[in-house]
Amino acid sequence: MSVVDSPATRRPNDPGRSQQNRVPGHAAPKRRRRGSGRTPWLLALPALLLIAGLLGYPLVRMVVLSFQNMRLRELLSGRTPPWVGFDQYTRVLSDSVFWAVVGRTVAFTVVSVLISVFFGLGIALLMRRVSRGVRLFMVVAMMFVWALPQLVAAQIFRWMTDSDFGVVNYLIDKLPGVNYQNHSWFVNPWQGWSVITTLVVWAGIPFLAITLNAGLTQVPKELLEAATVDGATPWQSLRNITLPILKPLIMIVTTLSVIWNFGLFTQAWVLRDGHPEPQFQTLATYSYTQAFGQSRYSLGSAIAVITVLLMLGVMIFYIKQMFRIGEVD
Amino acid sequence: MVAPTASPAPASTVPVRPRRARTDDGVITVGRSRTGTILANTAGVVFSVLMLFPVYWVLNTAFKPADEVLALDPTFWPTSPTLDNFVSAFKAPLFLKDMLNGVIVTLLAVAGALVVGFLGALSIARFSFYGRKAIILVVLVVQLIPFLSLLIPLFLMLQSADLTNSLIGVSITYLVLILPYTVWTLRGFISGIPRELDEAAMIDGCTRGQVFWRIILPLTGPGLVATSVYGFIQAWNEFIIINTLNSPDKQNLMAWLLQNQTTRGTAWGPLMAGAIITSIPVVIFFLIIQRNIATGLTAGAVKG
Repeated sequence: MSVVDSPATRRPNDPGRSQQNRVPGHAAPKRRRRGSGRTPWLLALPALLLIAGLLGYPLVRMVVLSFQNMRLRELLSGRTPPWVGFDQYTRVLSDSVFWAVVGRTVAFTVVSVLISVFFGLGIALLMRRVSRGVRLFMVVAMMFVWALPQLVAAQIFRWMTDSDFGVVNYLIDKLPGVNYQNHSWFVNPWQGWSVITTLVVWAGIPFLAITLNAGLTQVPKELLEAATVDGATPWQSLRNITLPILKPLIMIVTTLSVIWNFGLFTQAWVLRDGHPEPQFQTLATYSYTQAFGQSRYSLGSAIAVITVLLMLGVMIFYIKQMFRIGEVD
Repeated sequence: MVAPTASPAPASTVPVRPRRARTDDGVITVGRSRTGTILANTAGVVFSVLMLFPVYWVLNTAFKPADEVLALDPTFWPTSPTLDNFVSAFKAPLFLKDMLNGVIVTLLAVAGALVVGFLGALSIARFSFYGRKAIILVVLVVQLIPFLSLLIPLFLMLQSADLTNSLIGVSITYLVLILPYTVWTLRGFISGIPRELDEAAMIDGCTRGQVFWRIILPLTGPGLVATSVYGFIQAWNEFIIINTLNSPDKQNLMAWLLQNQTTRGTAWGPLMAGAIITSIPVVIFFLIIQRNIATGLTAGAVKG
């Protein structure tokens, strides 16, 4: 039904109904006012209430909890846990295990993001160079990897690196002079982390490569051709034309990768059978195990608060970028 | 009145989606050697094969008979393909129950997020009012809070409300998990509808309500589909929350896959078959809407 043929005579019947449907329980008679008035707030109200109640309040509660001492006893009895001030933080921050976890998480994030973005950019550039059919094959391959649920991907890697029947051991064992039968990948933390990093990079490349490739199509063809005619080497064109134009996009995908990889949980959790050894703990798994494994809910909260604080700079950067975009329309 | 869902959305009239990148635009042909192209093609094929290897390996494993799965010399093609692993996955305790749970929880969460999120998106996309920026900021900020860190207080809250070990509690949690993204994405789709359409309709005598039902809702159709599919994927893939809040008979398939591994000695064949069954809806949905996911995350980062 087109817009034009809705006659004014309909107004007495329809609008009230529509209004009711729009905001359940708030059939406001103010609708005819051209300005905004209460309507936008009423529309946003359900969303805001849910966000406030189930994201905002828990956030506050998390901070409060970190200043208390909530253990299993308080959980079962429902009593208010005792206040302990900064005790949880002192305990966490003076624990060398915690600092090892922080260092590990940061190191993993830096290494995995650098490798992912490097390969993502490389693949994106490669996609501009290959023939049409090969490009399609690359996109299809990456789509399948991207679509796989994290947990499934992690299970596949756990199976491939199984010490007895894993295909990775079988293939490496084929190399002359190498004995990898029954090799366990998670005895040596360096090897274990290289499996986790491979998994994260493998799963992360599709997003990076496909997004960056889309960005590359925006680089003006004329600029690159002119540079080539003027005798610029491909490397010079890349450094001086492509990368500067691509920079905002690279920044944003890098930021997202940092946020995601810093919160690494699933991969470490699944590859270590739900019981990560100390050398495979990240901030996310550490907080989780303290809270739900050891019933130290307050200690877990304190670790979560510290995690969020550590991420704050990156998050603010991302929000600034997105807010700038949000302002445009 | 036309039911909004039944009316086909004339997507072509409105530039709702960001501009698509044509694959062949801007490909540089000046100064390219033949051997270079051959090298690049080889690299591209090798890369794709490496990327696909784990996917191939899970399929290969799932269709093998049990004795071939646990062979010291693995076969790279199932010599006698069988559906045994899929049958035993379906027969495994709780598999069907957890599948049903997953469907219920996901649908409840997506439906709720869509209704609530659409109203919120309408508010920030179509009205200018004091506080709009604050709402946008809130929507953006909450997307970045690592949800896992909120799990401790959420667990305690749901515990005191007697909503742990219930599908309702998890549904509400998932709803809130996908709500910020829903608001943000739908806002983009609604902003893509020219305001002139609204104004023309109002001049012709439509009320704001009629504008909503006859213009905004039908034209946001594709956006609603894309957003709900993304929400579906998020909720369907989640397992940490449901695994923490609920006992195994109230969990979903992802959590089932996780539980399955902690029992002594993993049954790899059925596990891989279960993983495939669990992934199929996600992979299909994902392939349908992938463009929207990519653009939603980075929209506007490149000035076209």
